[in-house]
Amino acid sequence: MISKIFPKISLNIGYFKLIVLLAISGTAMAQGHGPLYGLQTPTLAKGGVDLNVAGMSLGTETETSYMLRYLFSYGITEDLQINLTTPTMIERLGDAPRTRGNSNMTANGDIEASLWYRFFSNAFGVGKRFESTAIVGVSAPTDDVRGQVNVGNSVHAAISTGYASRTWYGWIGGGYQYYFEKDGEQLGDLPYASAVVGYRPNIFMGDYPKPDWRIFIESLAEFPGDNKFEGQMDFTDSRSTKVLVGPSFLGLYGAWGISFGAMFPVVQDLTLGAVKERYRLAINLSYWL
Amino acid sequence: MRNIFRIMIIGLFGIGTASGQITKVDQEVYGMDCAPCAYGLERGLKKMDGLQEVRVSLNDGKAYMGLAAENGLKLRSIQEEVKKNGFSAKKAEVTLIGNATKEDGQWYIETANERFSVSQDTPKALLQKLTVGTATISGTVQDEEDDNLSGQWSIVLTKIE
Repeated sequence: MISKIFPKISLNIGYFKLIVLLAISGTAMAQGHGPLYGLQTPTLAKGGVDLNVAGMSLGTETETSYMLRYLFSYGITEDLQINLTTPTMIERLGDAPRTRGNSNMTANGDIEASLWYRFFSNAFGVGKRFESTAIVGVSAPTDDVRGQVNVGNSVHAAISTGYASRTWYGWIGGGYQYYFEKDGEQLGDLPYASAVVGYRPNIFMGDYPKPDWRIFIESLAEFPGDNKFEGQMDFTDSRSTKVLVGPSFLGLYGAWGISFGAMFPVVQDLTLGAVKERYRLAINLSYWL
Repeated sequence: MRNIFRIMIIGLFGIGTASGQITKVDQEVYGMDCAPCAYGLERGLKKMDGLQEVRVSLNDGKAYMGLAAENGLKLRSIQEEVKKNGFSAKKAEVTLIGNATKEDGQWYIETANERFSVSQDTPKALLQKLTVGTATISGTVQDEEDDNLSGQWSIVLTKIE
């Protein structure tokens, strides 16, 4: 276990140095921050930098995973943002369900680079805007085998649209992740959809620089395809259906943000061999430079 | 002849230096919904030369700015900073010292680097107070397309000092 962790830690120290270097050289602005699990739309300001550290856990019927994840985001323009996320796996799942962690961090041990393009934005009032964002990403696994299947690289694409105001928030979106075959085996693909509703109570309507809190109800619908094994005689190409719902909370103060939440499955119509989940937990700390 | 030469030198010198400037801006900002949004905008504005004080209000959707006594800041630069942060700059309430001129019946107020066309919506009583030469005025600058800022503005005057 220790030997597995140490190479990853050294990788992340190098990554941390890169973040600091880029952060020092760049100008820094902030942009909105949304839900923890669901797809969202806000992008950073031009030249803005956002650093995130997240703790994530996923519980199945027999195992629990623990992971730290780091996310670096940079605003190329106010509508175009790049992201890079790497994991430190503390405890991996021997049999991992096919899922994404959230819109810009993967749940399993993948390193992912992504590009967000906010292709539509209409700020039509004080604190109010409609916007739509497209996401494309590529990822490489840090593990060779996941759920007894060889893990290949993957691509991810998603689109989301939403509304933000000082009181109400809402986003809907959908995405697709495709894992490439590796040594004759392939992880199942993952079409998914998300819907999020957010609310900021009056008590948290204090003006900047007072702390700013909001509550989200998040939901995910995932349709993971079956894995393909080497020597498999009959590939059925069937899909599971999972629906998860849960609350999350986002607190913002100046350049800092903290969000935490949980998701619980309400529907799990699983194919043979698919892993049943019990919960997903996440906490995320953000800092805008 | 010598006096004419002196007048020409003074005139040229006068053109080459700042003939006016903005002293105060309350900029309306649309689309800003969160604390880091306000933090980022405030920080971006504070980095601009010529701004003495900056306060951003999420609830008002405004950035309140006091400019230094000597500044060459353009309203256009302020609105471009707002756009760079992903928001939309709308109307701005400004106070400025400028040179008032009248061309073909239309009043203009010019700072060193921008031109404000006085809107016909300005109350007539105020228009009658306007005279050619240096003027300190307050007014509401009308919204322009964020992607097409030219540095030429339309302003409805609210006060002439």
